[in-house]
Amino acid sequence: MSRGQEKNKMRSLWAVAKNTIAQAVRMKVAVIFIILLIVLLPLMSMAMPGDGTLKGRLQTFVSYGLGLTNLLLCLLTIIVSTYTLASDIKECQIYTVLTKPIRRFQFLCGKLLGVVLLDLVLLAVFCGVIYGLTVSIPAMSGAGVEEIEGVNNEFFTARAALAPIVVDVSEEVREKYEKLQQQGQLPAQLLPAKVLAELTRQKELEKRAAAPGTELVWEFDNVRPFEPNDRIFVRFKYDVSVNPPDLNVYGRWLVGDYRQYQFGAMEMKTPIYVFDRKDIIRTFHEIIVPGDAVASDGYLAVVFQNIPLNDTVVIFPLGEGLEVLYKARSFTSNFILACLVIAARLIFLAAFGISVSTWLSFPVAILTCLVIYFTGSMSEFVFESLDFLTVGWGRFYSFVIMPVVKLLPQFDQFNPTENMVSARLLSWSFLGYVFGIMICIKAAILWILGVVIFTYREVAKVTV
Amino acid sequence: MVNRNLQSESTDSQYAIETFTLTKIFTDWWGRNKVVAVDNLDLKVRYNEVFGLLGPNGSGKTTTIKLLLSLLHPTKGRALVLGGDSREPKITARIGFLPEESYLYRYLSARETLDFYGRLFGLNAKLRKMRIEALLEMVGLQAMAHRAVGTFSKGMARRIGLAQALINDPELLILDEPTTGLDPIGTRQIKDLIKQLADRGKTVLLCSHLLADVEDVCDRIAILYGGRLQSQGRVAALLERADKKQITTGALSADAIEKIKRVVQAEAGQCEITSPMERLETFFVRIVTEAEKQAQPTSGAVISKSMGFLAAKSAESILDKLVAPEGVIHSKPDGAKRNMKVPGPSPGAAHGLEEVRDIKPVQDEEVLRSLTDAVEPTSRPVRKKETKPPTVPDVEPEQAGKSILEELSEATENGSEESLRRDSDAGGPDDEPRTGEKQDA
Repeated sequence: MSRGQEKNKMRSLWAVAKNTIAQAVRMKVAVIFIILLIVLLPLMSMAMPGDGTLKGRLQTFVSYGLGLTNLLLCLLTIIVSTYTLASDIKECQIYTVLTKPIRRFQFLCGKLLGVVLLDLVLLAVFCGVIYGLTVSIPAMSGAGVEEIEGVNNEFFTARAALAPIVVDVSEEVREKYEKLQQQGQLPAQLLPAKVLAELTRQKELEKRAAAPGTELVWEFDNVRPFEPNDRIFVRFKYDVSVNPPDLNVYGRWLVGDYRQYQFGAMEMKTPIYVFDRKDIIRTFHEIIVPGDAVASDGYLAVVFQNIPLNDTVVIFPLGEGLEVLYKARSFTSNFILACLVIAARLIFLAAFGISVSTWLSFPVAILTCLVIYFTGSMSEFVFESLDFLTVGWGRFYSFVIMPVVKLLPQFDQFNPTENMVSARLLSWSFLGYVFGIMICIKAAILWILGVVIFTYREVAKVTV
Repeated sequence: MVNRNLQSESTDSQYAIETFTLTKIFTDWWGRNKVVAVDNLDLKVRYNEVFGLLGPNGSGKTTTIKLLLSLLHPTKGRALVLGGDSREPKITARIGFLPEESYLYRYLSARETLDFYGRLFGLNAKLRKMRIEALLEMVGLQAMAHRAVGTFSKGMARRIGLAQALINDPELLILDEPTTGLDPIGTRQIKDLIKQLADRGKTVLLCSHLLADVEDVCDRIAILYGGRLQSQGRVAALLERADKKQITTGALSADAIEKIKRVVQAEAGQCEITSPMERLETFFVRIVTEAEKQAQPTSGAVISKSMGFLAAKSAESILDKLVAPEGVIHSKPDGAKRNMKVPGPSPGAAHGLEEVRDIKPVQDEEVLRSLTDAVEPTSRPVRKKETKPPTVPDVEPEQAGKSILEELSEATENGSEESLRRDSDAGGPDDEPRTGEKQDA
């Protein structure tokens, strides 16, 4: 194909995109959303005190600001993407467009490009506003140096979290299961899978439990602080078998390259820090450790010694019971990644909205999109419910319902707001995963479906 | 363009539009046949002709057009447009289409609308700008170029719709009810435009149920009823009445009239001489133009401007502008035929004289010509030419329609070229006012 033809194609694609943006902007609905955000965001930055602390205020603002922007832009995307094509078909402008030298898939691509561009511009503007307001809140709040130092460490940062390697307990679980089976003690009302899952959980907890006078060692690889001398944070939560009288656990923590002890090193290359602490149970605590505790190969060990004085088994709950956090990137880059995760949602919704409006009228299409959006926002609950409801459906479930359900977006699983609030790192691999699953697979399948339908459908109305 | 036209004229196998047993049946939700909208249609439109698709409401005209443009899929048969599939961009790039209503984006201004369609054709910025200005001038909406199309009246929207159909300088123009919503002047302008486009070698498919429009501009027509082709052929051949003759002259003295009557009576016997009636369209245009000349205030469309889109020389230059980039300016494959004028009294005027008419005062004709005539030089005070007797007498509209249909259904397609009279078509308004009188026995 000649370059001239390519250029012509791009020109017509761009014409459709530009027209879609003009339609959205002149439809007024976009304007209403823009005004809402322009008014609400600064108001929120001033009016939301959070828990009274500077950190609380920042967390509340970022959480609500990003949440609101996300919600409004998602709704705007749904409205614009379903309206733009459905109205072209209903109002028959499509007659004059499709009789021009533009292929139908190009027309759809132009529409998608328009909606996505509009989204990206609005997202960039509003995230810019949120970012600007967020970084200026500490200065405006008149907080002391110490508090500002605190939020710099705990909020204006992007901390990577490393969970300890989970010990493989499958062998032990299998043995236990077989033993129970032989003894006929398996609960009859539970499915084998559920029993196995419960046994696994019990065994894993056992590995994270320390009886009085014993110690637990967690080893971490690939601890790579943003700057070598940055501090690292050990974040933990105690659970106990018997509540201590003062609800406190006394513990000795050792953090550093523990291999130096094990293999009897002649001299210590990196320091091992020791902390004697008293912490309230069932609450998160953080131990701040100087960054030089990490070995040059990224190795770090965290040791907890349960002092006999406690007289109770100390358990670190599964999941977030114990993590090592370190500053891996700047707040700014983390914020940009959070915005890109929102962008992925918007792109999905834009593709989905246009795709369904290739064969549904505007009211039905918008309703479908809204249902999918809200379902996707609580996908975990929906998936679990479906799993539960469809027990015994067998192949029909696996081959018919499951593939359709799998196309549902899982917005709640990719929620960047939580990460911003807890200053957790959003990794590039996470972003890649979000784009890969949500855009390259799910949105692409739905999009191709829409393109195929639109290519072969009759766009004119039946009038006789 | 020229070569193809000439080629297509010579080989009858190449058509601008060709359908093969084209059928469209609308089914209901259960797949049961509901309506046969188009029934085994074999339509053939030659290159470089103005083809009229006629029929009452619901006869399948618009459905046929939608099928031609692939907006609907045929149930059976197929359609070739410009020798190919109308979904192919290389084919659609050569088509201009005005749908039955001007389906435009309400939020775009007139200029933005044309720019949008220009971009769809991949026209570069310079060419686009030039054509947009030319077209806005042509449809007389330059002053309203920045107004949103949604605020336009139906007629104004129609003009923009027509402009968008012309932005690519199409070889084939498909017009579905182009004159609906237009005032008589706008209607006249569109008809004149169609004639001029035909002169430039374009093919026009005109779909209408307004018989007067079709009769004025079409070379060939087809009549649809119930989705079936009832009759098709050359307009002139279908409407010609060989058993009658009509002669038009300037003002004559009573003495001369007596002499003519005697000659005719000696020859054939029956003859009636009256002053011809002016056509209502011509009369309307004249009155409104006079009002405009007196600068009478109006909140409606300004005639001088709206007339501008086809007025005399400007129309010529606008069309030139539209065509110029492709390097073809005055290509008229059969221009000689189309622009043929009958300069004076025909040699055979004395024979078969049945009717002698009075010509309206010269100034009326000149006003009209200044508004719509693109080709004809203006000063020709009295012209005599032979005209065929009107086949559609100005009786009651229903009667007229009926008689045409009756005659058409009786007629068969006649391919004779010589019966085509483009002399009156090309000039449009320099056409003499038709007599409304039917000759007496």
